[in-house]
Amino acid sequence: MKKNSKTRYIVLLSLLILVVVAAISLPRLFKSEKRALSGESRQSGGIDLSEYPTLESFERAERDDIISSYSDTMPVYGNWKSYTMKDGLPSDKCYTVRIDGDRVLVGTHDGLAVLEKGKWRTYTTEDGLAHNGVVSIDVSALTGDVWLATLGGLNRWSGGKFETFTQFNSGMPNDLVYNVFCYGKDIWVATGGGAGVYDTNKKDWKIFTEMNAPMHEPWTYALTAGDGKVWIAAWGGGVIEYNMQTEQFRDYVDPDGFMEIDLLPDDGLIHDITTATAYSDSILWVSTYFGMSRYDGKNWNGYFDHDSGLAGNFINFVRAEGPVVFVCSDKGLSSFNGKTWITYKKNDEKPDGKALVYRGARVVKEIPLTPSISHNYVIGVDAEDDVLWVATSSGVSRGERIN
Amino acid sequence: MRKVLNWNNMKKIYKKLLISAGIIAVFILIVLSPFHGWARGHVNYITATEDHPLNCFSCHLYNQKTGFIPKLINADYYSPYNLAISGKGDELYIVAEESGELLVADTRKGKVTRKIKVGDKPHSVTCDKNGDFAFVSNQWSDFVSVIDLEKYSVVREIKTGNGPAGLALSPDEKYLYVVNSYSNDVSLINLENGKEWKRFSAGNNPSGIGMNPAKTSLFVTSRRALLAPYGDPVECELTEIEEAGKRIAGRMDIKSVYMLENIEFTPAGDLALIPMIRPKNLIPSIQVEGGFIMTNGITIIEQKENGRTIQLLLDEPNSYYADPFDIAITPDGKRAFVSHAGVDQISAIDLDSLRSFINSHTTEELEYYSNHLGTSCHFVIRRIPTGANPKGMAVSPDGSKLYVAEHLEDRIGVINTGSLETEGSIDLGGPRRITVARKGRRLLNNSKGTFQNQYTCFTCHPEGHEDGLVYNMASKDMGRNLANTQSLRDISETAPYKWNGKNHTIYKQDGLRFSTVLTRNEPFSYEELDALVAYIVTGIPYPPNLVYNRTGELNAMQLRGKALYERTIDKMGNEIPEKQRCITCHPPPYFTNRKFEDVGSLIASDDSMLFDTPHLNNIYASPPYLHHGLALSLEEIWTVYAHKDTHGRVNDLTKIELNELMEYLKSLGDPEFYRDEEKILRAKANPR
Repeated sequence: MKKNSKTRYIVLLSLLILVVVAAISLPRLFKSEKRALSGESRQSGGIDLSEYPTLESFERAERDDIISSYSDTMPVYGNWKSYTMKDGLPSDKCYTVRIDGDRVLVGTHDGLAVLEKGKWRTYTTEDGLAHNGVVSIDVSALTGDVWLATLGGLNRWSGGKFETFTQFNSGMPNDLVYNVFCYGKDIWVATGGGAGVYDTNKKDWKIFTEMNAPMHEPWTYALTAGDGKVWIAAWGGGVIEYNMQTEQFRDYVDPDGFMEIDLLPDDGLIHDITTATAYSDSILWVSTYFGMSRYDGKNWNGYFDHDSGLAGNFINFVRAEGPVVFVCSDKGLSSFNGKTWITYKKNDEKPDGKALVYRGARVVKEIPLTPSISHNYVIGVDAEDDVLWVATSSGVSRGERIN
Repeated sequence: MRKVLNWNNMKKIYKKLLISAGIIAVFILIVLSPFHGWARGHVNYITATEDHPLNCFSCHLYNQKTGFIPKLINADYYSPYNLAISGKGDELYIVAEESGELLVADTRKGKVTRKIKVGDKPHSVTCDKNGDFAFVSNQWSDFVSVIDLEKYSVVREIKTGNGPAGLALSPDEKYLYVVNSYSNDVSLINLENGKEWKRFSAGNNPSGIGMNPAKTSLFVTSRRALLAPYGDPVECELTEIEEAGKRIAGRMDIKSVYMLENIEFTPAGDLALIPMIRPKNLIPSIQVEGGFIMTNGITIIEQKENGRTIQLLLDEPNSYYADPFDIAITPDGKRAFVSHAGVDQISAIDLDSLRSFINSHTTEELEYYSNHLGTSCHFVIRRIPTGANPKGMAVSPDGSKLYVAEHLEDRIGVINTGSLETEGSIDLGGPRRITVARKGRRLLNNSKGTFQNQYTCFTCHPEGHEDGLVYNMASKDMGRNLANTQSLRDISETAPYKWNGKNHTIYKQDGLRFSTVLTRNEPFSYEELDALVAYIVTGIPYPPNLVYNRTGELNAMQLRGKALYERTIDKMGNEIPEKQRCITCHPPPYFTNRKFEDVGSLIASDDSMLFDTPHLNNIYASPPYLHHGLALSLEEIWTVYAHKDTHGRVNDLTKIELNELMEYLKSLGDPEFYRDEEKILRAKANPR
């Protein structure tokens, strides 16, 4: 009998707590949902719409308020506009995007697309491209020359003219060029046959493969450089750090060596199969097909979709701008500054989507976006000032900062 | 006053006695039979003729490169190449290419007042607006000399790319643009710290640079055509740099031309004018009389939106004006002057007539006229004779005088731009006597040996090197056996000559056959031939290999490449057959064994033949490669044209190792560096 009365007491207490919590939170939830959904409900909510000439301006003001409350200094992008073949792209499959002053360069499966003065123009092998599959683009800050990594060689696009480097006509390691990165006078490439660096002054190449660097195999996917060092994402070999002054290598690999799991959190790189590196503000970001790592020169941190705001563990590319890293995954685009995550996802079969603001793995806010990025399979990204461009497997999207 | 008989005077007397005795001894030997018979045979063999005068000096005196005799018989000239004039017009700054000096001449007194030592082979000079500083590019030293014009001394040397040539100051004079003619780029120098800030890639062998009057753009000209397989049209790049952003703004490929040495804008800014040569290398050289090897003229670029690029010849139906080099325009924009280094003349152009001509014709008509020998009479108003090999020019600030660097005359010509007459000259004070080699140099740079002065040896061998083109020579098998032009640098010990090695001496190469096949004119006289050979043998050295082998010490990568070059065992542990080792056919010091080989490079248009093994010194500077010029880079020799190990054993190499081998090849420089290696190799081959 005593046992039954004790159980009854616990149940009653639980019900009481539930009622109290519901009484506090439900009106808020209804309120925010209504505010986000329709102007009519907003009116009924007692907000004076006369301040806002349009529904969109009201939404923007509301969103700014939400974003500034939840995202710290993290930029949030909205007002997305997407471009596909219907708008003039040669292909919907967009591998990479680069902002170059007043123009935007998009590497697609069928050529280089350039948006200038509101119009798209396509360049292909007929114009001098080494291959129509343009997978990486970088612009030399020194000369303004555009460097294009293609699936059949490397191009320098300068003054409207394409110059081609291949494994046959130069010392370049391999024609399958996955990534290009300009660092001063040096042009670094990650290729299927090793990493390489072209000295534009001396006009010669150096190659790094498993023969002369601590790589598992010559297959390299991406690289980045900063503070006199280069970090090469080497397939199966983790990250290879190359010190340009000492010409010495150092490799970072997954300490637990497990391919399936990250046994000890934050013990080092999360996986040896790396897909990209990005370096900014003295932080190295490394993407893999199994999550992302952050290295501050002393400590490693690992991030997965189950314990962070990462959209997906299968990461194609990362780019860091200041304190923020943009992460391109198969399930959307994420951005992160070490504290707050913002993940952009498109809703299935609909043009709209959302930006999810995370603290850790917890969603603290969901910001509806109409429209959203063009596809969740994100392959490339570039940010400059208040604009973000995203290359996806189904078009390229431009977002504006809204906070 | 008693003459002092010191050691120097004694030396001179001994020298004279020695030479006199030598001459008498040789003379006696020649006239004595049977030595005469042997000498006749010997000379016949060398010259490939039977009537060349029996003169031992031709070869055994004038062709000596080192030692006491060359010092005695040769002379040190100034060879003015380019020049600039001060803002007041009172001083000329003259680049003396051969002596490595900047000469300052007083234009009123008409004489040189200062000589300032600069680097090796200076090319160009420019001055700031206030006349405080002059900047001199040193093509063989890879730096710019900054000269304080108050103290007349070098105050700074600024490192550049390889082969600095044309110069231009930014409008604010905070930056200096330096055209690097050998490394094919342009250095932007920050004059505040004297360091290179950035480097722009340019065309092939860029040379001149000019800023438009609006000061918004700089244009860089190129001498060599862009590398392309034989059959593709010849195109030469004009590179545009946006001054404000200091970035590349455009690259214009100008069709059918090369040797775009310099550029000048009209003061109104409506036209840019560039001296040019239109080579006809893609068609057999049989119709020389129709201008079918070279024509000479100017490229005109209209400076407006959708402006046309026009090419007009300065040649005439029966007279060509070879090797146009520099262009100068009077401040009133009325007259332009083009120096023709190959005919020792200046063309004076009436710019209003030129404008009228191009404005009254459609683009299609002008395209037709680009090959027409009869248009120059519409705008060329005078041909003004000069001293030997006129190069750079400068117009006085008031526009009344044109100063011309008479390169091989050691003189500055002064032309009245009104009367178009030469009114005087400034003698630079060089040696009065013209040595045999100097005479040969003049011949090599002059077109009088070719049909109606169409071109010079220099045209296809600029600076004694090669022009990077592949020619379809007229021969018995028309259209077959294409020939990639070969360099003339230091070739005396690399016989035989031609790709097929049919000419065993330079005498044969440049003698009678030369006039039959190429010049279509009277052959050089024997005296001229002697002089030409003397210059080729003694006067065309290699520029220092400053990019890949500055000190002669190889870096680690080059050393690994050298080991591959000299290896005898392949990576599978098998001995490499001797014929497949690089070192076998390409031993130092010239990196040729001077023997014939087949390296699998024959193409369908070639007769079945073996090729003379080419020498490899400064090979980095000689693209394209192989006899047909189809290998556009060193790598392509093996990756494209010898992938079956027909040109040495390379297929076992990784890409890294192939790059190491390339780095070693690029490091090869002046043959003198390799004399010791040659001795070691010889000792190995002959242990006794």
